[in-house]
Amino acid sequence: MNDMGEPERVTAIEPTGDPADVPGARDLVLALADDELCIGQNLGWWIAVGPFLEEDLALTSISQDELGHARALYGLLGDDIDAMAYGREPYEYLCAHITELPCHDWAETLVRHFLYDTAESVRWGALADSSWESLGAVARRALAEERSHLRHATGLLDRLLRTDAGIAHLLPLFDQLAPMACGLFDAPSGCSDEALVAAGVMACELGNQRAQWQDIVGEALAPAGYQPQWAVADPEAAPLGGRAGRRSPHFAALHAEMVEVLSIDPSARW
Amino acid sequence: MSRAVPAAVVAAVRRSVSQVCDPEYPEVTIAELGILERVSSTDGGSTVRIELVPTMLGCPALDVIARDATDAARAACAGADISIEVAFVDSPVWTPDRIAPSAVDFLAREYSVAVRRRSANASCPICGGTALEHRSDFGPTPCRSVEWCPQCRNPVEVVGRVEFPAATGAAQSSPAAMGAAQSSPVPA
Repeated sequence: MNDMGEPERVTAIEPTGDPADVPGARDLVLALADDELCIGQNLGWWIAVGPFLEEDLALTSISQDELGHARALYGLLGDDIDAMAYGREPYEYLCAHITELPCHDWAETLVRHFLYDTAESVRWGALADSSWESLGAVARRALAEERSHLRHATGLLDRLLRTDAGIAHLLPLFDQLAPMACGLFDAPSGCSDEALVAAGVMACELGNQRAQWQDIVGEALAPAGYQPQWAVADPEAAPLGGRAGRRSPHFAALHAEMVEVLSIDPSARW
Repeated sequence: MSRAVPAAVVAAVRRSVSQVCDPEYPEVTIAELGILERVSSTDGGSTVRIELVPTMLGCPALDVIARDATDAARAACAGADISIEVAFVDSPVWTPDRIAPSAVDFLAREYSVAVRRRSANASCPICGGTALEHRSDFGPTPCRSVEWCPQCRNPVEVVGRVEFPAATGAAQSSPAAMGAAQSSPVPA
């Protein structure tokens, strides 16, 4: 109450509050952690079966990095990281569907890797100066590690797109995966990215980040005379909504694999 | 009410934790590798806090290092009623420059592993050649890349895959800069 006896006007955002308490901030971090967890788990599949030894090492090293990023992000939300990573119901995960795809074809893995790591470079960049200080520190730490991921993805893509076989094989995969990758920039339900930007949690809104990412991808593919179609061709055939808790058909098997050790020995740790 | 941790106990914990060795290089301590950041008394003086800096966020040895540091701290307290807290901190960021010169020499001599620091060129641990050529960002552990020595024609493992920020906590604030980084040449 103010001195006129009237209720104080409530402002949308309390500027002096903890940025982590801005509505949607924790859900956004959870969504990014879930993305990293699923990507890390899926890339780990390539251990010992990569098309050549160096690629085997690269994909599984990147897998380890992404799992480390998941762990750091979950760590911002609570102490029991295993419970967050493995112990939730499927509808409580907020990962984008592209991260759940198995991609057991190497070309598919490369295209997804390129789309995902370019997206990550944009979103870590938008979080590097976050008013949520520990989130900013994780983002800066992760950005330093991401550069080698980007160099790996773009180096292979550049070389392969200079060949007819590479163009014939890879470009149709962009048609298939680019629209799905847009889901990486969807906001979790109830998360207002305007509020997050206003509170300084993120430097710019998710739509803005998506546009920056699409420019980076478009620029990389322009030499091949190709521009990705970003819109989902048939929304009925590929309903998205990973951020809203809807899981793709691939999630169940992925999750079962993740919790396999834990279900044998519940006291096992990361 | 808890009593303050005596400075002598903090010093004893610091000495003990400084002797903890890295699981990957069992003769090299976490102090020499720059993983041990700080040992201090916190929480109104009732807790000894040990701050560690992860080499990589996904390093699988982090849990082992934290456990060994906790054990070493407990041993130094010798049953005194003191809380031990071990934490990995995100800042400062670890870089190969944090490795002590003595450990750089030891890693070269005993493990044939080179270290890439800003302060000095990485040199081949086999022949001493300094014209190492980058081969792959990804080696046998997340923190090691693979280079090639044209002088003795051997592949060389180099600690330091990641281009670390120039200054501790320096923000990569421009997302567009990451896009630009894609086309930059691979640093030697």
